[in-house]
Amino acid sequence: MATNVVLSGNLNFLNLAELLQLLGSNGSNGILRINAQHVSEPGIVFFSNGNPVHSINGALRGLEAIFSLFGWMEGEFSFSGEPYNGETTINKSRMEIILDGLRMLDDGEIEKVQGVLADEAPVEPPKAVSKKSSLPLIKGPLVDYLHVVDEEEFFDGEEIIIEGNHGNWIWVILEGVVELSRSTPKGPVKFLQITDGAFIGSISALLSDESVRSVTATAVGNVQLGMLDSQGMGSEFSRVTPEFRNIVRSLDNRFNEIMNRAVATFIGKNDPAKLLKDKRPVIMEGKNDDKSFIITGGRASIARKTKNGVVPLITGLSKGDFIGQIPFLDMGLEPTSAIVLGDKRLKVATVDQQSLEDEYGELSLTFKNMLINISTNILATAMVVCDLGNKAAR
Amino acid sequence: MATFNFKKREIECKIVYYGPGRCGKTTNLEYIFKTYKKQVTGEMVSIDTEGDRTLFFDFLPMGLGKIKGCDVKVQLYTVPGQVQYSSTRKLVLKEVDGLVFVADSLEVRREKNMLSLKDLHENLKSYGTSIFKVPLVMQYNKRDLEEEGIPLMPIKKMDHDLNRQLKAPYYSASAIKGQGVPQTITECLKRTLLNLQKQLKWAK
Repeated sequence: MATNVVLSGNLNFLNLAELLQLLGSNGSNGILRINAQHVSEPGIVFFSNGNPVHSINGALRGLEAIFSLFGWMEGEFSFSGEPYNGETTINKSRMEIILDGLRMLDDGEIEKVQGVLADEAPVEPPKAVSKKSSLPLIKGPLVDYLHVVDEEEFFDGEEIIIEGNHGNWIWVILEGVVELSRSTPKGPVKFLQITDGAFIGSISALLSDESVRSVTATAVGNVQLGMLDSQGMGSEFSRVTPEFRNIVRSLDNRFNEIMNRAVATFIGKNDPAKLLKDKRPVIMEGKNDDKSFIITGGRASIARKTKNGVVPLITGLSKGDFIGQIPFLDMGLEPTSAIVLGDKRLKVATVDQQSLEDEYGELSLTFKNMLINISTNILATAMVVCDLGNKAAR
Repeated sequence: MATFNFKKREIECKIVYYGPGRCGKTTNLEYIFKTYKKQVTGEMVSIDTEGDRTLFFDFLPMGLGKIKGCDVKVQLYTVPGQVQYSSTRKLVLKEVDGLVFVADSLEVRREKNMLSLKDLHENLKSYGTSIFKVPLVMQYNKRDLEEEGIPLMPIKKMDHDLNRQLKAPYYSASAIKGQGVPQTITECLKRTLLNLQKQLKWAK
């Protein structure tokens, strides 16, 4: 890992074109790394005297790679100053790359990638069914070491937390891969792999006495974990307004629920006819409505339409849970790519999004990271549920 | 606002040629590039954008002297007017230091000119500045076509159409022959630098 990071930030604030200009006019030497949640490997650009000379994005190299990075709308970048003497694959001038990159972006020649690839995965034909795990690999945001109080190492196959056990410690993965699974009558179902920057443990457990682990986390290869200052996090969590705490609790609940669906699908019991009986749609899929609501009575479920029919993703949302868009989190479910169904007694109240957003802005970085991470987990598990459903349908 | 490059002791400022498609922005820049070759540093970057090309090069104007001991380097840009090129437009127009609006004198292009100016106005507004704050020079281009019997708008009418409120200095030009091109850029540079100096004093 780079140790001499001299500049870092978010692409939301400074995009690649602006970064290239800035590093260019500064005549910088070094390596620009861009981490985004939709990829496991960072995009890299090497600079010599302010000019991009080499770039890597996945399997792409050189110009192709740097142009593809223009499509990244979100991500964290860090620039480390160091001399670069490696290969040169880019000879175009800086300004030409910038202007041509933006032109291709505007002309639609470069694919825009934003957040996690929410809508694409379920429509994709299921890949050749291999025994080897093709679980989504979830990467967290860059680790903020402020809340890391201790480091721990786990070896391949070791269980970090076990479903059903009690505990409320939270870790952030510093290095390595961890597999999340749940036990079922048909054997354990694995549904996610998480890696650097992702969290193990739930926020709402911080404030409750009964904190039963909802999932088993197993090290895949050696894993370096950072233990978080639960006391500090707990007191921060206790300071937020009840409304905000409720959203966090409901997010945890969603993750829990969607894991239940994954288990149910795995054992072939995620039956829409049964689960969605007597429910009518309250928020349609594909609407670009950014409102959010709190359930004050009745029950609601979230489902996604796939080519194999409607797949229930989250059931049993009840009083206190939110539905709809949360302003600071890209959940990728309702209303853009999932529907919300409610029973006859469903009652909701609108949520004051602005005050939630303001409150979110004041949270510590680690707290924000956890919220982002959990919504990514929810989304990825939704994909797993659809995918398991597809396989079952065959 | 211009960028100060302390490493190179340069002040970089940005001048943008704006105007409707095929009004002669590119011709203006090509003429400057050819005529002042010695003052141009680096290559001309030319990107084929639909309907119009996007050009860019660095330019070290002679005889402007230094500001606070720094050389003044000018980045000259044209920007594609098509709606779809919003990313390019944003990059180019953000923090622009000086503007040249090139208008097409052809009678049939009257509306295009006005729409493009309105567009510029709105774009600047969305990037947090105002067309009234950025030094601006108007150029009424393609005057040579009159000799060929193509109906042109009188300068007075164009100025009334476009420049009534802005009251920017204006030049008639025939970019293809180079006529009016140096006057336009010189005036724009002069105003840009005066404005920069004003900002510097204000900052002090």
